[in-house]
Amino acid sequence: MPRHRPRTTTAPPAARIPRRPETGDMRRKLVIVGAGMAAAYVLQELAQLEHDLDVTVIGDETEACYNRVLLSNVLAGENSEADLAMLEPAMLEPAMPETDSPETDSPGTVQFVTGTRVSAIDTDARTARCADGSEHPFDALVFATGAGVARPGVDCSGIIGVEVFRTLRDARELRALPARGRRALVVGAGLLGLEAAHGLNELGFDTRVLHRNPVIMNRQLDTEGGAQLQRDLEARGIHFDLGVQIAGVAADDNGRLCGVTLDNGERLPADLLLFATGITPNIELAAQAGIATARGIRVDERLRTSAPGVYALGECSQFGEHCFGLVAPIREQAAVLAAQLAGVQHPPFCLQDYPTQLKISGVEIYRAGELDDAAEQLVLRGNGVYRRLVLRDNRLVGAVLVGDKRGGTWYSELISGGGEIGALRAGLIFGRDVSEALAAA
Amino acid sequence: MPNCNTTCPYCGVGCGVTAQLAGGQVSGVLGDGDHPANAGRLCVKGTALAETLGDEGRLLHPVLAGHRVSWQAAIAALGSKLQEARERHGPDAIAFYLSGQLLTEDYYVANKLMKGFLGSGNVDTNSRLCMSSAVAAHKRAFGEDVVPCTYADVEDCDLLVMVGSNAAWTHPVVYQRIEAAKQANPGKRIVVIDPRRTASCDLADLHLQLLPGTDAFLFAGLLRHLANNGALDRAFIDAHTSGLDAALDAAGNLDAAGVAQVTGLDAQEVATFYDWFTATERTVSMFSQGVKQSATGTDKCNAVINCHLATGRIGRPGMGPFSITGQPNAMGGREVGGLSNQLAAHMDYDPADVDRVARFWGATDMAAGPGLKAVDLFQAAADGHIKFLWIMATNPAVSLPDSALVRRALARCEFVVVSDCTAQTDTAAFADLLLPAAPWGEKDGTVTNSERVISRQRQLVPALGEARPDWLIVTQVARALGLGEHFDYRGPEAIFREHAALSAFENNGSRAFDIGALAQLDDAQYAALAPVRWPLPASGPAIEPFCDGRFFTADGRARIVAVQPQAPAPGEGMTINTGRFRDQWHTMTRTGRVPRLSQHRDFFSISLNPSDAAQLGLAEGDLVEVGNAQGVVRGLATLDPGIARGQSFVPIHWSGQFTAAGGASNLIPAITDPYSGQPQSKFAHASIAPCAVASWGLLFSREPLVMELAYWSRIAVSGGYLTLLADTAAPATVYAQLARELGADCERAGYEDSVGGDWREVGRRGDTLHYALFLNRSRDALPERGWMTGLGSETPAAGEWHQLLAGFSAERESAGKLVCSCWEVGETQIARAIEAGADSVETLGAALRCGTQCGSCIPELRQLLDQAREDCAA
Repeated sequence: MPRHRPRTTTAPPAARIPRRPETGDMRRKLVIVGAGMAAAYVLQELAQLEHDLDVTVIGDETEACYNRVLLSNVLAGENSEADLAMLEPAMLEPAMPETDSPETDSPGTVQFVTGTRVSAIDTDARTARCADGSEHPFDALVFATGAGVARPGVDCSGIIGVEVFRTLRDARELRALPARGRRALVVGAGLLGLEAAHGLNELGFDTRVLHRNPVIMNRQLDTEGGAQLQRDLEARGIHFDLGVQIAGVAADDNGRLCGVTLDNGERLPADLLLFATGITPNIELAAQAGIATARGIRVDERLRTSAPGVYALGECSQFGEHCFGLVAPIREQAAVLAAQLAGVQHPPFCLQDYPTQLKISGVEIYRAGELDDAAEQLVLRGNGVYRRLVLRDNRLVGAVLVGDKRGGTWYSELISGGGEIGALRAGLIFGRDVSEALAAA
Repeated sequence: MPNCNTTCPYCGVGCGVTAQLAGGQVSGVLGDGDHPANAGRLCVKGTALAETLGDEGRLLHPVLAGHRVSWQAAIAALGSKLQEARERHGPDAIAFYLSGQLLTEDYYVANKLMKGFLGSGNVDTNSRLCMSSAVAAHKRAFGEDVVPCTYADVEDCDLLVMVGSNAAWTHPVVYQRIEAAKQANPGKRIVVIDPRRTASCDLADLHLQLLPGTDAFLFAGLLRHLANNGALDRAFIDAHTSGLDAALDAAGNLDAAGVAQVTGLDAQEVATFYDWFTATERTVSMFSQGVKQSATGTDKCNAVINCHLATGRIGRPGMGPFSITGQPNAMGGREVGGLSNQLAAHMDYDPADVDRVARFWGATDMAAGPGLKAVDLFQAAADGHIKFLWIMATNPAVSLPDSALVRRALARCEFVVVSDCTAQTDTAAFADLLLPAAPWGEKDGTVTNSERVISRQRQLVPALGEARPDWLIVTQVARALGLGEHFDYRGPEAIFREHAALSAFENNGSRAFDIGALAQLDDAQYAALAPVRWPLPASGPAIEPFCDGRFFTADGRARIVAVQPQAPAPGEGMTINTGRFRDQWHTMTRTGRVPRLSQHRDFFSISLNPSDAAQLGLAEGDLVEVGNAQGVVRGLATLDPGIARGQSFVPIHWSGQFTAAGGASNLIPAITDPYSGQPQSKFAHASIAPCAVASWGLLFSREPLVMELAYWSRIAVSGGYLTLLADTAAPATVYAQLARELGADCERAGYEDSVGGDWREVGRRGDTLHYALFLNRSRDALPERGWMTGLGSETPAAGEWHQLLAGFSAERESAGKLVCSCWEVGETQIARAIEAGADSVETLGAALRCGTQCGSCIPELRQLLDQAREDCAA
């Protein structure tokens, strides 16, 4: 879970940034399409800056700006819905009439429009039209439309019991299902799949995870790290079928899910099927508006799309060949974007090697740098822990930590710093304190 | 809490020990304030006696051919094998090899059985290795094996000459008495004659660091000097001695310069020593293994004794030649006749003695002549002449010279019986029959110390398992052989009475050893017997030996023996010296179990001079191999400026149970003194070379582990063992070997850096650490030893076990190398106290208690203080 930066509710008084002269309005209007975490980060960043923006956030969910990362904990009953809040409650209240005096140095307003989706955007007229018919003019617009669950490659349309797990509403619905004695199948052992599996397992489902790769979380972990995490999850009662794909979904006469067939011919009974085989950026709206898209909405290092005054960030965006799914780069995007919108100096967005930092079912995971098998390895294993550091030319180049991620941040610093390890080597894998103490001894 | 007085089972000082008993256990021990040997003092080994009790590592049942059997079956098997060997090959095909660790009663019945009823003189003892040269010298000089001094003389003398004795470590309580006496009498001079600068040199006014084996030149030269300077006691010589002229002739014209040349000493130092000796009437020459364990040990002892006879400095308070023995009951063994060339009660094999003893015993098959001495006995076994061998309370596979020969002997001998309290010893590995003997604290009897004081060793706790006292085992065998009527003892009391009666039998003053006064002790008196010094004749005054100038030769005169000094034969390589450490005893079968006794000197090490080490490219702690035609030992290099160049010191304690290749005896050729048969254990030639090490390791384990490595050395620590290991193979290979032994049913956590050569693993069973192994290419990268030592009680939180692999914990500060074993005070603590202002042994003691109990660390404390002062001045 990302750590929130300290926030101020009002921006400090500072030199005003000149408005665009061609608008008659005293203040500019910013529309953010999508009320997910990316939007929340932009609002958080803006709240710390001096700007002349009145912000309208439009989201199709009833709830806005909650912490989606914690949904699996809500599913598991480990967090309450209240724990998901990312913004001050006052911020989310219905917008006040615009009767403020524009001459004052008051911070911009933030208005939330929820439960409706933007259906069309006119980049020339600079309006966003919602499904409910309302229109929102903008000076600037931000796509924060996020991503949807990737469609499975098998036909399961109309089958009762095939669910998705993406929103708070999904979580509520899943929580409402009878769980005890019922079998849940999660397809995909990436971060989302494992989090969902953990939640379902905690709910009482007899939970099984299918994964195409023989290693779970293979995009973040190496073989042994995946195996360690698998052991930990198995110890918590989650079952795994690895190296298999789903070939078909079977329903009973009532249209209710009864099982799946695997590509190896095996059949598995199931009462609930959840796909977590990846995400697909939500780009349709941008594409319709004539904005350049590929997998995601194309943005540059200032998060600008192909349309002037239109930006994108988060899971819907694509920077170079990269799409995004983890929190850290999206937060960085939000900081760049907020500065851009406020007209404040900020280094451009660039791709960094963001360490992966996760906690799945209580198991800490950290991964940074490259896990080059041909380089020198320091490996610690046992006691429910797997830690591997990769060294090349007496420098740390990669780290993967499962079960005990202490020292992760330090490793990231060492990796990006690129300095020689030297005497730190003997204690390196035990973190900074031990390593430095041993090196000093 | 009831107390029970008994006697310490370690060195020949024979200290009285007060055992505190609680709930059927020995809860602690204190020095017996009433005992004449120690008056309440104890050394660290004695202090730790309670910790040697218990069943860890104990042999608790008879084991025949690897299988547990009943005592009945064991005795029957022993009896039939003995009988068979004797009938088929004759009485000289059987032998007993006894020990200075046995009590007098054990010794007596074993000796009686063999020499009186089995017709063989083949009873010898490990005391052969310890002091038989002193016995031979005493007999040559005095006509009988009589020690003419007591510890009080050592205190009362004005000049104490310590010859081949590191009493500070080997006889710590006597050393403490010397130290106290010197403090009380600052005019008292102490001369230490030793090729090593030892802890005992701490007190010395003069240390003569002579070349190994040249002591006889020094004393022959002294005799010549005394004669040349009118320092001879002509009246005493004329009245009570013979042989002076021949002895002077043999000494030739050795003057201080000549002596200096052959001994490697400074002529001025020699002259100083001669002057002091000449001028000091009250002189005691205390000699020990340094001169006895020599191919010319008897001559060396006589060379010392000669100087006392020629000056009449004998038989009076504060003077005399004083052989101090190594073992607790070396003297008792000599009294019963436990050496193969003695018969019994200080009687030898002359026909009158044989007849007298035969009549006393009612012997059915009396040995006609001396049996084989230890080294010859094992040589005979190796040659196939000894078919049955019964070894009691000793570990010859480690302690006898030429270990390869001993192993051949034990392997070849048809039936080897080993009576011991410890299950696994290097000797027990060869036994066909293992008999569980009751150790100290579980048996009753008597011992005699170096100053002829007979003390009781008392049973404190019931014998564990099926252990039995040795005297009982021997008498049961005698019964099985149909000799029950001659060995019908109800207990050790009856044996002691018979022994005392034999000492008085037809004695009439002809033998000094007469304890006839004790032959009438009833059981209660024996039980309560307070320490007594012999002679104790049934009638007549008990006078100190030689105070009347009467000796026990045929003519009543002492012999001044013509000694032709000989230097050891020259050889290739380094000169090897051997000896004891402060906190260990013999082959560590008991002291090796006590963690705090393994702290002062931990892993098997070989000392050499720093300059020699530098020439060999050796640093402190590097692995070295010392080898010669006899064998090889491997140990860590200890750089000791107290060792002269060209020499090396190998401690005697390490057996195959504690290190890979550590037996000092592996280097010692089976060369013996022609008179005493005592081996030259303190002298050998060997080459020394560094060993290439690719892996170093430290292992904490609950169990002792079997390892096939170039080097490993193990000590007991709290809750388990700590092993230092080294090998020529890379850490990964060593790990692969050890991983198989490390307890399969453990939950393991490991760390590997294969390129860096760093392998670590911990294994636990539930909440208990089972082992922790650290392997590294570099010795310096291993965890600190103090940290490893504490692992036995380490219980990290459930998720934190893998943190142990760091081999380090910030919270615990190490005390450093243990200096004071009694109070477990380490070097680091001492250094800090010195920094904080402690500037003397006394202030250190006040601050940390170090040195305030047994005092044997005081030389080291003083060294640390001196070091700190030098560092300060530098």
